[in-house]
Amino acid sequence: MIQHHAEAVVLRSWPIHEADQIISLFTRDMGKIKGVAKSAAKSRRRFGGALEPTTYVRARYTERPKQELVRLDSFEIIRSPLSAPVDYGRAAALAFFVEILEETLPDHDPQDDIFRLLIAVLEQTRVDSIWMPVTYFALWITRLLGWLPDLSRCSVCGERLAGSSSYFDAAFDGLFCERHSPGAGHGSVDGAAGALSRRAVLSADSLALAVRIFRTPASALVSEAWPRSRAADLRRFAVQSLERHLERRLTTAVALLRLGGA
Amino acid sequence: MSQFAEPMDRLIEALRKLPGIGAKTAQRLAFYILRSSAAEAEELADAVRQLKARLRLCSSCNNITDIDPCVYCSSATRSRRSICVVEEPGNIAVIEKTRSYNGLYHVLHGALSPLNGVGPEDLRAGSLVGRVQRGGVEEVILATNPTVEGEATAVYLAGLLHSLPIRVTRIATGVPAGSDIEYADEVTLARAMEGRRDI
Repeated sequence: MIQHHAEAVVLRSWPIHEADQIISLFTRDMGKIKGVAKSAAKSRRRFGGALEPTTYVRARYTERPKQELVRLDSFEIIRSPLSAPVDYGRAAALAFFVEILEETLPDHDPQDDIFRLLIAVLEQTRVDSIWMPVTYFALWITRLLGWLPDLSRCSVCGERLAGSSSYFDAAFDGLFCERHSPGAGHGSVDGAAGALSRRAVLSADSLALAVRIFRTPASALVSEAWPRSRAADLRRFAVQSLERHLERRLTTAVALLRLGGA
Repeated sequence: MSQFAEPMDRLIEALRKLPGIGAKTAQRLAFYILRSSAAEAEELADAVRQLKARLRLCSSCNNITDIDPCVYCSSATRSRRSICVVEEPGNIAVIEKTRSYNGLYHVLHGALSPLNGVGPEDLRAGSLVGRVQRGGVEEVILATNPTVEGEATAVYLAGLLHSLPIRVTRIATGVPAGSDIEYADEVTLARAMEGRRDI
């Protein structure tokens, strides 16, 4: 048996048996793992409130030979989502991070960049500030997963897009100039006329913001005003890219849409 | 081809759908039922049938009940001035065990859960506002779980009730009685410190 002591973020939990729980954990060293927390519902000594999703912990766990699930021994809280006020918006943002990581990360595959991204956005996600971390996470995770197309040029003709509006569509990878945008008719990426197109516009401001996001830490952007309308098109673009690769709608994206910001 | 006869297979499949029951446990339970007497098996089947046939939700508080209104809503001895809001019907029994609350209840049947697609419109919150608006209620106690989802639900309900002339309170959280502070986690202890009171 190999004992581990690692930083981790709790992603989800499922009850099993009388008082045990299966925990999905995103560790810094081993990537995503699943483990059993024995008697977690009854005994608060080893885990306390640390099994709440998005809790940043120092985890002790033991790998067992020929067992897929590790044995979770104890968690020490580094930062809990319950240390700050929670409302539906913040809960939806936290759940958005969890759902994407649960859906995209393979087990036992360390991803230090993604771990650092998660820690950065968790720290900035507050009741009055969810749209910056959600946008930042959606865009960065798309890039770190290798699913982000070139944002600087039209995916069909290679024309530079900076300084003007560009177009995207849930069905196609990439950004397009107006002439080649889906539904623009002859010469467009789908070769179709506009009536059936679901194309959306990405403003020049949002495109410039995307470039800034890739050069700026989340902590430096949080002081700016981020109403839900800011970069809503950029969020939609990133979420559509994720959903296209996952081949399904993200449940939490629907919750964010209810809040008027995705 | 199946390992078992069709009725056995059917029972195993039905049992497997229950929470916490895997394939092996379902098989074990099915064989137990097979070996038990016909009367015992019939008693079990009848209990399941009656559960579905006779139980419904209380039209006032959404508690699971066989009479409408439920025993709490129809009791003459309970105070009508306070409503304690809980996530699940099972929470009522736990609060009743304390013998420290004698008011009414309101069951939400869940909490806001973006990950499970449960939004504000899925909660039974409208009927809570209706009960308060009908008058007589002085306090609503929000006793949802102290989790992210439970807290978000409490904040959402507090916002709904904000404009009404009542007191809205949240149950306290802190160190469990009889436990050791040494083993309390930071969040719980911080909340206990925030909620301290004069003695």
